[in-house]
Amino acid sequence: MSILDRRAIMVDPGVLKNSGHYDAIIVGSGVAGAIIANELAQAGKRVLIVEAATETDRSFKGYSSYLQHFYGQADKDNQSPFPVNRNADMPRSGQLRKLDPLEINSTSYIVQSGPYVTDTVYTRAFGGTTIHWEAKTPRMLPQDFQMQTLFGQGKDWPIRYHDLEVDYELAEREIGVSANVEDQQYLDITFRSSYVYPMHGLPLSYLDQRVAAQIDGSEVELYGERYPLRVRPFPQGRNAIPNQKYDGGKGYQPVGAVASHQIDVGGRCQGNTNCVPICPVQAKYHAGKTLAKAFDTGRVDLLSQAVASRVVIDSASGRVTGIETKLYHDPASPDHHTIMITGTLYVLAGNAIETPRLMLASGLRSSSGLMGCNLMDHAYLLNWALMPQICGTMRGTTCTGGIVELRGGAFRRHQATFSVDIHNDGWGWATGSPASDVVELVDAGNKFGADLRQAIIDRVSRQLLLAFMIEVLPSESNRVSVNPSYTDLLGNMRPVVSFTVPDYTLRGAAYARQFAKTVFARLGAEDHTKYDPSDYGFVTYEGEPFAIRGGNHLAGTHVMGTDKATSVVDTNQRCWDHDNLYLVGAGSMPTIGTANVTLTLAAMAFRSARNMIMQLGRLHAPVQT
Amino acid sequence: MRIQDPRLHTFVALSSVLTGVETVQLFGTGQAEAYLVTLGKILPVALLDDLFKRFEALPAEEIEAAVEHQVLDDTRLGCVAQNIILMWYRGVWRRLPDDWRASFGAFPEDENHLISGAAYQAGLQWEIAGAHPIGARHQGYASWSLVPTKPNRRNTA
Ligand SMILES: Cc1cc2nc3c(=O)[nH]c(=O)nc-3n(C[C@H](O)[C@H](O)[C@H](O)COP(=O)(O)OP(=O)(O)OC[C@H]3O[C@@H](n4cnc5c(N)ncnc54)[C@H](O)[C@@H]3O)c2cc1C
Ligand code: SF4
Repeated sequence: MSILDRRAIMVDPGVLKNSGHYDAIIVGSGVAGAIIANELAQAGKRVLIVEAATETDRSFKGYSSYLQHFYGQADKDNQSPFPVNRNADMPRSGQLRKLDPLEINSTSYIVQSGPYVTDTVYTRAFGGTTIHWEAKTPRMLPQDFQMQTLFGQGKDWPIRYHDLEVDYELAEREIGVSANVEDQQYLDITFRSSYVYPMHGLPLSYLDQRVAAQIDGSEVELYGERYPLRVRPFPQGRNAIPNQKYDGGKGYQPVGAVASHQIDVGGRCQGNTNCVPICPVQAKYHAGKTLAKAFDTGRVDLLSQAVASRVVIDSASGRVTGIETKLYHDPASPDHHTIMITGTLYVLAGNAIETPRLMLASGLRSSSGLMGCNLMDHAYLLNWALMPQICGTMRGTTCTGGIVELRGGAFRRHQATFSVDIHNDGWGWATGSPASDVVELVDAGNKFGADLRQAIIDRVSRQLLLAFMIEVLPSESNRVSVNPSYTDLLGNMRPVVSFTVPDYTLRGAAYARQFAKTVFARLGAEDHTKYDPSDYGFVTYEGEPFAIRGGNHLAGTHVMGTDKATSVVDTNQRCWDHDNLYLVGAGSMPTIGTANVTLTLAAMAFRSARNMIMQLGRLHAPVQT
Repeated sequence: MRIQDPRLHTFVALSSVLTGVETVQLFGTGQAEAYLVTLGKILPVALLDDLFKRFEALPAEEIEAAVEHQVLDDTRLGCVAQNIILMWYRGVWRRLPDDWRASFGAFPEDENHLISGAAYQAGLQWEIAGAHPIGARHQGYASWSLVPTKPNRRNTA
């Protein structure tokens, strides 16, 4: 039996009928919900997690079945390990196509209302999207919190970098981040003195080293300022060698697989190049690891196959009185029954699409009117080339290093910043390599035998893909909404996404393309980049073509701020309108800079959990007479 | 006990010339029988017999050139041979081209499909490139930072 099998206490929905005894009802078992559940439970609170997905992968067996499902899929798209469940559906990139002007495509789970078609995904599974994520964990830059003040763009956060600094440390502990402080001190990112990451950084790949050999120490000029370039390792939420100096010399114990036999699984990252969509050995953090601790307290119950469908409000006080939830019995059938779940506090942790979707489906638009607005996601621009020498591509984690010096700078007055990933998995993301190479060599090249073999070596192990992760600022018209015409099998309204890639971002993309050409020239690499006009992510800017990919870093849809009129939640992610309701996750982020959002949303979850414990303390305090 | 298909050695010898990979290595993938079974399910016996007979009749010296002219350049056998290459490299069967199907038969099992999860992992595309199948047969912590081993050339023994 696995750890989780022993600890996850499934509740009988019948018992819930009058379950006013939960201190908190948390919708969603992703990293945000998991951290809050664990923090509350460690403080002695009783928690119920409501999860839409099935809970089969709680066990090692369930996890393995995802892996077998992945190996067995002919088309290994992003979500291929995760079987279809129409009762708790999720976006899948394979179902997308380009839209005509004003056309709406409702054939995929997210209704694409355009004009830009996003292939961004998230995973509705026990443990949420971290089962699937790549686990890059950079902090935001201090300047990212003050975009309006410093650059006249986007929004300021109501809190600053130093307000989150200690929570960043907690998040780095929870996720188990591998990095070296000395590599991460750039663009004013600061660390408390004597801080070290839980584990040492993962070494740069040989491919990174080949790139570094040519570009480290070179510079680029942008709006009159010079920026030095170098290849830096990324902080990663995957197990490496623990740092003895961690926690004042106490060291760090890496968290292995959620499994009974930890010897063969769950150790150090082994370089499967498959972090996305699923790590075969659970070296990569996923929220199941936090949930295991939470369940271990005995104070956390899990209700799975339970889709929260309506948040019910007392109109006089604005307080939440319950969450109407649909329980389905079988993922293959829409049969279900509906129950009302009640507790003291309510926490929606469904992610930046599902949380506002649920609020809007409940008729709760926020007095600011901003529920679902300001949808952000990084825009990715891919550039690919062949290196002049064999670089051993297709080895290692998906990405170990990149160029991050242009994450910040005065040019942000004019155009978006970006962070550049050097992909260890070659052109896979852009072209479907190596399969596409083999097919092309055999079909078009008429290659076979020794020639074919040599051609594959030449083609694949020299591949370099630079993925530019470009900043997107909040814009009210980029948003998630709902519409009764589009519902899922259970009758819940599906998310409708309207999105235009902002010009600010496209200016960043245009510069990114130039930057890639400069880097390729310095490397002596042969540029093979081309953007196909029939690509669903195809856009043009000032006549130049680009294919923009979604970033899976959804944010902004229940923005945090200083007042009720201009934001949905306060600095603790509590709704201004509903004082016992928290909306947690990247949806609260006013801007995302060039930080993959999860470390920040995890840090914010720690902050909110503290506030919830205080609020519960106040509510339960004996009344003074 | 299973009786071994007498055509197995011919199939693997032909595959070796087509893929540029030694027979030992092909057997080492553990997929040889599964691929032959797959061919048998998709294509008529007569077609496969023609393919194997054609190959067996070729002179051992200059075998590559002979396979190119007698097999790959053949309008009927060539597409099948190319599919055999792809099957070894990718673990996938690809539907034969429409004009081929129009001339030589549209067989019901001739549809795009992954042979099996094991075949995906055994696909030669990874090992030949000095890599490993994405998601399996990992190379170990930090191995990615080392100089890649010289991708193995065809040995002439
Ligand atoms: C391919 C990919 C790569 C990524 N790489 C990175 C990366 O390198 N770095 C990074 O920082 N981030 C990355 N991300 C993003 C990261 O995975 C997410 O930011 C993070 O997982 C979000 O956590 P969450 O807890 O807010 O939501 P989720 O993890 O999405 O969890 C939400 C949970 O709520 C459940 N739920 C939703 N609606 C309901 C409902 N109505 N009722 C009941 N349950 C419900 C869902 O089933 C799910 O379990 C990546 C994402 C993808 C897809
Ligand atoms: S490289 Fe592999 S072992 Fe390491 S985290 Fe990614 S999938 Fe897991």
